[in-house]
Amino acid sequence: MAETIIETNGLTRSYGDICALKPLDLQVPEGEWLSVMGHSGSGKSTLMNLVGGLDRPSDGSLRVGGEDLLALSEDGLARFRREFVGIIFQQHHLIPYLTAVENVMMAQYFHSVPDEAEARTALERVGLGHRLKNRPGELSGGEQQRVCIARAIINSPKLLLGDEPTGNLDNKSTIMVMELLKELRAEERFTVIMVTHNQEVAAWGDRTIYLDDGVLVREERMNS
Amino acid sequence: MVALKLIPHLLSWAGILLVLLRGYSERRSVVMKTSITGFTGGVAGAIILFRTFPETIPFGSIKTALAVSFFLLWVFSVAAVYSSTARRVPISRRGRFVNTSLCAGAVAFLAGMVAGAICTCRFPATASNTLTFIVLVLAAGALAYALVFCVRIIERLLPPSFTVSPSGMLIAVVAFLLFSSSSILRLDLFSPLSMKVMKGIHDFVHQFMESILIPDHLFVRSVVWKYIGILFSKGVGFWGGMVIWFTPAFLIVLAVNFERLPSVAHIRQGAQRRKLLAAAIKARRHRLVIPLLSVVILAAAAYQSSFPSTEYWDPKPIPISANQSGEIIIPKKGEVNLEDGKLHKYLFKQGDREARFFIMVTPEGQLTVDLDACAICKPDGYGQAEGSVICYYCKTLIPLETVGKPGGCNPVPVVFSVKGDNVAINGMTLINTWGSTVQATTRVKEGGK
Amino acid sequence: MLLLAVLAMASSLATALGIVSSSMEKRVAEEVRKYGANLVIIPESARLDVGSGGLNFGVVSEPSYLQQKQVEEALVKSALKAEVSFHLRGALQLKDADIMVEGVNFSDIRRLFPWWQLKGNWPAAGETIVGSDLASRMKLKVGDIVELAGSNNKIPLRVSGIVASGGEEDGLLFMALPELQRALGLDGQLTLVRLMVTAGGDSLKKSASALQMLLPAAKVNEVRQTARTSEGLLAKVKLLMLMVTAVVLVSAGSSVAGTMSTTVLERGKEIGLMKAMGGTRWEVMLIFCGEAAMLGVLGGLAGYVFGSVIAQFITKTVFSASADFIPWFAGISLGVSLFLALLGSIGPMISVFRLDPVRSLRGE
Repeated sequence: MAETIIETNGLTRSYGDICALKPLDLQVPEGEWLSVMGHSGSGKSTLMNLVGGLDRPSDGSLRVGGEDLLALSEDGLARFRREFVGIIFQQHHLIPYLTAVENVMMAQYFHSVPDEAEARTALERVGLGHRLKNRPGELSGGEQQRVCIARAIINSPKLLLGDEPTGNLDNKSTIMVMELLKELRAEERFTVIMVTHNQEVAAWGDRTIYLDDGVLVREERMNS
Repeated sequence: MVALKLIPHLLSWAGILLVLLRGYSERRSVVMKTSITGFTGGVAGAIILFRTFPETIPFGSIKTALAVSFFLLWVFSVAAVYSSTARRVPISRRGRFVNTSLCAGAVAFLAGMVAGAICTCRFPATASNTLTFIVLVLAAGALAYALVFCVRIIERLLPPSFTVSPSGMLIAVVAFLLFSSSSILRLDLFSPLSMKVMKGIHDFVHQFMESILIPDHLFVRSVVWKYIGILFSKGVGFWGGMVIWFTPAFLIVLAVNFERLPSVAHIRQGAQRRKLLAAAIKARRHRLVIPLLSVVILAAAAYQSSFPSTEYWDPKPIPISANQSGEIIIPKKGEVNLEDGKLHKYLFKQGDREARFFIMVTPEGQLTVDLDACAICKPDGYGQAEGSVICYYCKTLIPLETVGKPGGCNPVPVVFSVKGDNVAINGMTLINTWGSTVQATTRVKEGGK
Repeated sequence: MLLLAVLAMASSLATALGIVSSSMEKRVAEEVRKYGANLVIIPESARLDVGSGGLNFGVVSEPSYLQQKQVEEALVKSALKAEVSFHLRGALQLKDADIMVEGVNFSDIRRLFPWWQLKGNWPAAGETIVGSDLASRMKLKVGDIVELAGSNNKIPLRVSGIVASGGEEDGLLFMALPELQRALGLDGQLTLVRLMVTAGGDSLKKSASALQMLLPAAKVNEVRQTARTSEGLLAKVKLLMLMVTAVVLVSAGSSVAGTMSTTVLERGKEIGLMKAMGGTRWEVMLIFCGEAAMLGVLGGLAGYVFGSVIAQFITKTVFSASADFIPWFAGISLGVSLFLALLGSIGPMISVFRLDPVRSLRGE
């Protein structure tokens, strides 16, 4: 039995009167691929931000990788993010005036020191060895997302968060990206939490939870 | 109030203590104990020295200790650069020795001793009066205790990643000692250093010109003379001194900067490898702080030495004239009391020629009349500080005992006679002596024979 | 880019104004000395304190005079190119009060003292102009008839104008030189000759000594009075420049602040991303501060170059002289630019510091 990497107890997040996340108890064992489904405003992004240390809960307890995120200072959270979490965004959020390699190196910079050779290898691993010096504008959506993945895994995170990583991609690219993630997970053994509203994408995971209005309504285990 | 003057010295010692505590973070108690013992020992030793010997001996010995420490620093800095750039960094016996508690204790003890001795030098004269002396010692002791207390707290507050390399420790210790000593005229190292450099270059150029290059200077064009003249200027001594003063600090900074990062090739995971590297770089950057700080302290020491805060007794020359027979008559107890142990300056004019001279009584009670100029330097004149007069041009200190004797940078003595309660000097002789010495010195200084 | 331009502009302006005002000090003094009378001839024994303004009665109580003929001859002999104006000063009675009267040739005055502000008209024969202070003291208006009592006769004069010069002229009454000479019984005599020699620097001194040779009974002096007024003027101009610079700096500073905050707004996503990737708030802020500082340095350097060029241009066109090349103004320019860049980015930096990565990444 793998260790639990994420453990929440009565996790709540409210913005003023609006309660984005009702008290939530969730346990994620290490190495699991968890898909989070739900329609817009169901609190799935909030959950992801909380788990990724980008946001602080209003109430409840949150332990990620043995770290009590509530006890961490603002800078402590930043340190937690840089060492523990890799994030892939729907809108990619690549810096437009930097090349692919430089975008990856930026993650290295905030983590420790940049290392170009390593960044190149990472890009080669996601199949972009030929587009190292291109800027994001010159890359297709799928390629951009692959740069994002390279950037997210460059610091060997224990936890990979995907915020609708395939939301802007066509079918073919989606499959490519998902294949890539699966491969990488097999090698690096990180835990994946992926927010999506696409049933097919969710099906790549080991387990799917359904959120509605901030409440966990259903849980489904996939047979792989 | 007088105890306040000790604060810079005590602060320097506290700085030394702080650096050593951080440098030997595993041997805090040893460092603390030996440093305090050293300091007390230094104070006591210096007091005994001052009581048993004339002042020159304790001053001389402390100055020697400082000079030796500076020399050691040089050796150490060169060694540090060598070892940091060498391909393999063997853990030498030296490296291991530096980390023993014996070494830690020795360094702390010696540094404390010198610091204590310097503190005592601040008031060599007070050491004779028992009551004020006891009060002073008590006040200083209280101050020192408070400082030690502060140092312990500050040391705990510093982040643990902030470490000091052995060379950084040494430079900091020496820099603090030199800073502490630079405010005491007779312990100052920087001014004598730049003076030595100047004289060295001076002599070298002379020898070179006379023996090797040319028997006759006619071949040398005036343009060339201009450049040779630069070598004779005061700036050479100053800048040369600066170079010698700061080089060890910069060498150590370089050495730290060149320190090899740990080998990380065996770590397979990139992120972990990079993290180690980043930590090493950060630690190295932290180790740079102390040497860089030492540079600042050394600069402060050099500044203090170049612009000493000591006020010199330097009266405005009193214009004076000769009587019909060409004699200058100055009453011993006239408007100014010539026998109060201070120097009294006079300005004598005859036609368009003039001469500046001073009259004073040496501690032995000998009356002496001297030119306000020496046979070597430009006639910038002399000022009087405790126990000595100083040549403003070359900052050489001349003990009061030797004023009135010819030679070196001593003021040039003038023949005079005592007639009853008056001092009589022949005006013509005075003017001529001034003329010959000053003209000779200015000619040399203008860079040509 | 805009930011760089603003910074460069501000620092270049500061540099230019600095350089101009520092080279102006010399130039303006030289320039102004060329205007107005620059030599005066006074009788040897007269203790006429030139340029001190105000003249008390004691000084002229034992007057001595210059002979107009002698002076004219000397001027012809010396062959100086100069505008000349003859003055005779004396006391006359007006309504039982002594007033100072100056006899002049009005046509010369109009040439030599172009700055006189005259209310009314230049006088014709039998007319006079009155200094503004005197006029208000004596309650005189244009068109009034004044009756001056001399040593032996009375002269009725019509006031044709009131003059204001800001100098001692304001307290004097002016009339035609021959009339005054006649009134005082001093035919052909003068108390003062003003010369405007069209030369500057050394040659002025030379002409003065040349004239002195020809007029042994008189004293030829250079006038420093204009230089002194020009110094006052200079101080005012400097103050003006300082204020202009201050205004420019303040506006540039606010413009920097504006530009910086729009940049930060535009790059909000980038900042959010940096934070999401694990940059601490301080690290991210330092990156942006570093950017601002770099812009500041670049702007300062560019500003120095531009500023020097502008200063050259200004001094060329205004003073027709080349500006000094002052290297240490580079430091000032750099400092100004850096200071502005950092000061202007304090606000934006705080917002960078506070920026919430979640919201900025969502595009809020």
